[in-house]
Amino acid sequence: MKMDRRTFLKDAGLLVAALGLSPSWLPKAAEALEEMATGRAPILWLQGQSCSGCSVSLLNSESPGPADLVTRYLSLYFHQTLSAATGVAATEAMGRAMEAGNYILVAEGAVPLGMPDACRIADENFADLLTRAAKRAKAVVCVGACAAFGGIPAAPPNLTGAVSAGEALAKAGVKVPIINIPGCPPHPAWIVGNLVNVLKVGIPELDEFQRPKRTFGHLLHEQCPYFAQYQAQKFAKQPGEAGCLFKLGCQGVVTHADCSNRGWNGGVNWCIRARAVCIGCARPEFARDPEFAFYRLNEEAEKA
Amino acid sequence: MGKVIIDPLTRIEGHLRIDTRVEDGRVVEAWSKGEMFRGFEALLVGRDPLDAPPITQRICGVCPVSHTVASCKAVEAALGLKVPANGDYLRNLVLGANYLQSHILHFYQLSALDFVNVEALLGYEGRDPVLREVKAWAGGELASNKVLPVAPFLPKLPGDYPTDSSWNLGALAHYLEALEIRQEAHRMAAMFGGKMPHPAALIPGGVTCGVDAEAVEDFRMRLARVKRFVANVYLPDVLAAARLFPDYAQIGRGVPNFLAFGVFDEGESPWLPAGVLLDGKFEKLDTSKITETTAASFYDQNGPQHPTRGEIRPHAHKDGAYSWLKGPRYNGQPCEVGPLARILVALAADLAPVRSAVNDLLAESGLTVDALPSVLGRHAVRALETLLVAERMELWLDRLKPGEPSVASYVPRAQGQGEGLTEAPRGALGHWLSISGGKIERYQCVVPSTWNFSPRGDQGEPGPVEAALLGTPSHPDYQGLEMARVVRSFDPCIACAVH
Repeated sequence: MKMDRRTFLKDAGLLVAALGLSPSWLPKAAEALEEMATGRAPILWLQGQSCSGCSVSLLNSESPGPADLVTRYLSLYFHQTLSAATGVAATEAMGRAMEAGNYILVAEGAVPLGMPDACRIADENFADLLTRAAKRAKAVVCVGACAAFGGIPAAPPNLTGAVSAGEALAKAGVKVPIINIPGCPPHPAWIVGNLVNVLKVGIPELDEFQRPKRTFGHLLHEQCPYFAQYQAQKFAKQPGEAGCLFKLGCQGVVTHADCSNRGWNGGVNWCIRARAVCIGCARPEFARDPEFAFYRLNEEAEKA
Repeated sequence: MGKVIIDPLTRIEGHLRIDTRVEDGRVVEAWSKGEMFRGFEALLVGRDPLDAPPITQRICGVCPVSHTVASCKAVEAALGLKVPANGDYLRNLVLGANYLQSHILHFYQLSALDFVNVEALLGYEGRDPVLREVKAWAGGELASNKVLPVAPFLPKLPGDYPTDSSWNLGALAHYLEALEIRQEAHRMAAMFGGKMPHPAALIPGGVTCGVDAEAVEDFRMRLARVKRFVANVYLPDVLAAARLFPDYAQIGRGVPNFLAFGVFDEGESPWLPAGVLLDGKFEKLDTSKITETTAASFYDQNGPQHPTRGEIRPHAHKDGAYSWLKGPRYNGQPCEVGPLARILVALAADLAPVRSAVNDLLAESGLTVDALPSVLGRHAVRALETLLVAERMELWLDRLKPGEPSVASYVPRAQGQGEGLTEAPRGALGHWLSISGGKIERYQCVVPSTWNFSPRGDQGEPGPVEAALLGTPSHPDYQGLEMARVVRSFDPCIACAVH
């Protein structure tokens, strides 16, 4: 679809603002969007031990919107949930993509290294398929808590020996740039914004967990609207009460994400504004420690 | 012609493989194979009971609200928490909004491409700006030297796609519009749920966000937009598909048993009722009759077990097993669950508004009640249910009381057992837990797609989809397209089914 320059600039402007970049980035972002639109940067999207929540979140992208994303920006060579191709046509599409190479591989879901047959696609276990696909990729973007860090499938007792996509590829000896976009699910702008960055600017500056610093560089707590109440020690003691949610178990104080100034689903809401605790879904440790409950309402009972 | 295998069966949630044996152009045997396992029930053991809703909602990114509701209800039953009326209605609205997004997504993004000739776009000569743009895009893609042009719409399986260009083009335009509408439904769910997918605000005791009059009216406006699409685009498109593919009213029949747990609490009872139809006979739901077998599943277990006694012992190379799904049975019988089961149970319970809506649907579609268990019947009933839910949501909005509580105060309890029943967009969903020493002692989920995509049971009896595939025509050149249509009419969610 031919889009005019103005449309790219408009979308790029929104994206640059959403990512908190300086306006000098605007031409580069517009170019990156145009490149995504003209299909010079195809995407191969593979799902392992996933719930498809990251894919559903991608479809909640606000600007570009989902229809533009699918038809103009992303050249989705294969995506298990969206591709018309099924069965034989699906394995052919994957095969042709891998033969051509030079795509960005998006991995969604964990990899069951300890029990490889716990995830199979077209008679091949997911670990092998992922390895094969990663060898031909320009970069691997691991979306979501599971692909980035193992997530819930890797929580003890971890019956399938689930690991992150990065760990599985390292064990297979594949050398390819890895970018982790955690979150359960990740915000769509985290996915789209960082894909743009990879395409145009190159691999964004990453932290020790291979997360883009520009998305995961600040504690949610620092820009939380309840920060003043935290400082004044006005805490909610029960669900639904006014005050900072820290004493209920809120993990905003240890979670690096920008939910507090971005908002979710077009900005209509986000967890803490809805008066629910942040459960730290963007943390590398998310859901991994059974002793670290999301809500602290049972602590008093335990002490008694 | 022997075996036809569809692997991977895409445009569904999760990892599903279908194997069939075909004789004289018809399926004579079928195997439904769930290809992915994570172990949610095992990892919940030893955790705080309040961890259960945020963890179990992450079983599925398409229907997380339903798992949250089932889990909250199980924990509430175990701990003796009473949800205030506002909490029930807010839950209904978040769940209802997710029904809207899920059903719309299922028809347009997941199913419609089986019934649409995408290439028809290239011959479009009309003036619709969206279609002209999409045509230009597709043409440019095909003219380029791209490896996979017009992805994700091409390639596809060969088949008997319609030649009617107004249908093909309209459906493609509506595919794109549906993406925006389902996104709006997710914004609605996030307004009271915090975010989507994986809503944070639904916890044991109710919904944390409270009732704000401004948010209620904002929600109402968005609901009107989604409802307009359902009534004027989605339902008419399904009826048009029914006219173009009349054979599919006779294809995909399945088992004669239907199960519904009841959903959308209004005071003491749910709006859509619970009940069971076994071979046409209606009976009250008795959850003690539910078991899960692992006869053909990759697990070891000591025979069929009620969910309160179910085990999680994976055995990846078990002899005779072929699926990661367990096999749920009601009184030993495989049952279909989903919109069709909900509506048939509502008819059996004589819910008047549902009866009149179904009668209108039958008159308009030319379908008969007997033909509802079919590919077309399932799509039509799902579309009808979408409209009924959207209408009912207006009533729940009216019943919200700003200023009154929406969540109960939490009172800990060290021991307890709970059953949490609801309906996901795909059908009956139950969570069972027991708590000991303040921690989760056992947790089991019996999930809609586990019912529908169940492998063989202890008597070798096929599961509902395995049965529905029998007799499906199979054109030698179509590589399983007809079977894929049957499978998708059940709206598979395999991450749910296995968990």
